[in-house]
Amino acid sequence: MTKELEQKFAKELEQHQNIIHKVCRSYTNNEAAHKDLFQEITIQLWKAYPKFRGESKFSTWMYRVAFNTAISLFRKSKRNVETTQIYDNLKELEYHDYDDSGDKQLKLLYEAIYSLNDIEKALALMYLEDKSYKEISKTLGISEVNARVKMNRTKTKLKNILNP
Amino acid sequence: MENLENLKDLWKNQEDSKIRYTQDDISQMVQKKSSSIVKWILIISLLEFILPNLLFVFTDFDATKQFYEQYGLSNSMMIYSAIHLIVIVGFIYVFYKNYKNISSESTVKNLLGNILKTRRTVKNYIYYNLTIMGIIGINIFYSVYSSTEFQTTLAEGTSMLKIWVISIILLSLALFIFWVFYRIIYGFFLKKLKKNYAALSHQGEL
Repeated sequence: MTKELEQKFAKELEQHQNIIHKVCRSYTNNEAAHKDLFQEITIQLWKAYPKFRGESKFSTWMYRVAFNTAISLFRKSKRNVETTQIYDNLKELEYHDYDDSGDKQLKLLYEAIYSLNDIEKALALMYLEDKSYKEISKTLGISEVNARVKMNRTKTKLKNILNP
Repeated sequence: MENLENLKDLWKNQEDSKIRYTQDDISQMVQKKSSSIVKWILIISLLEFILPNLLFVFTDFDATKQFYEQYGLSNSMMIYSAIHLIVIVGFIYVFYKNYKNISSESTVKNLLGNILKTRRTVKNYIYYNLTIMGIIGINIFYSVYSSTEFQTTLAEGTSMLKIWVISIILLSLALFIFWVFYRIIYGFFLKKLKKNYAALSHQGEL
């Protein structure tokens, strides 16, 4: 692969890196694991980049590879704390904390997403990103009807976690 | 779901991540080696293909040949070897074909399905190996125990049934250890994938 292609890839990824950071923050619970996952997603994106023909938006394509890496390909390191531990921490926070500031709310939201299972995390992220059911079904590889059913369950679960 | 709708604004208006990478950082990252689960599955699978056959390399060929001739096992062992070779080539071909289908650009369900399918090939290969080892083991026991050489070495009154039972137990135990060892490796790598695949299927509960 040429240097030129690498530069083009690095430039596009630098511009769109927030998408990957959102995925990393949702699937990991510490900075080291976040960085490990970011690196693995970047490697997977780079490996697939020569085949990317621009049929879908760069960001849509990135989402798909990022979810695939987080859900299927990434081997969590021991640095990742157990999910239950995070969930317990989340429960300790009082509900009124939720309205304090945007930052705190966002932190709580990320912690709530982290407590979901891998597929639910993807559904929650795509819901928050306002993705259509068509795109969700295409990303996950399930029917739109199934996507709706699973999305409703995920939303209820997320709501229950945020409003215990 | 009113609260969740409000969260969409919070999500969209979030600041850029505190961790930021420059183009140079990204260029450096792409030079690094992947540590994906698929890479590990490939390494483990290839080892599983090679290891059972590697045992033969450390075998004393002359002694084995002599042993087979002594108990009239030469022909059947030749047939087993020929079948084994064809089966291995077949398994490696199917494994390679499945492995090539693994793509990070597939849908999540397809990717999970393809990884599991690739591993299923290795699983069947392991089961095939255990079966053939069992068959060959019994074949060898039978040939040895029914030979006059063996019969003459037996002390008077020794029960052949007892010898057979002990042999079968030992053989089953050896195969069981192989199987447990394999299940541990299999479970270690695939637990998460199987769970996620089930969650995406119709029956899967989220």
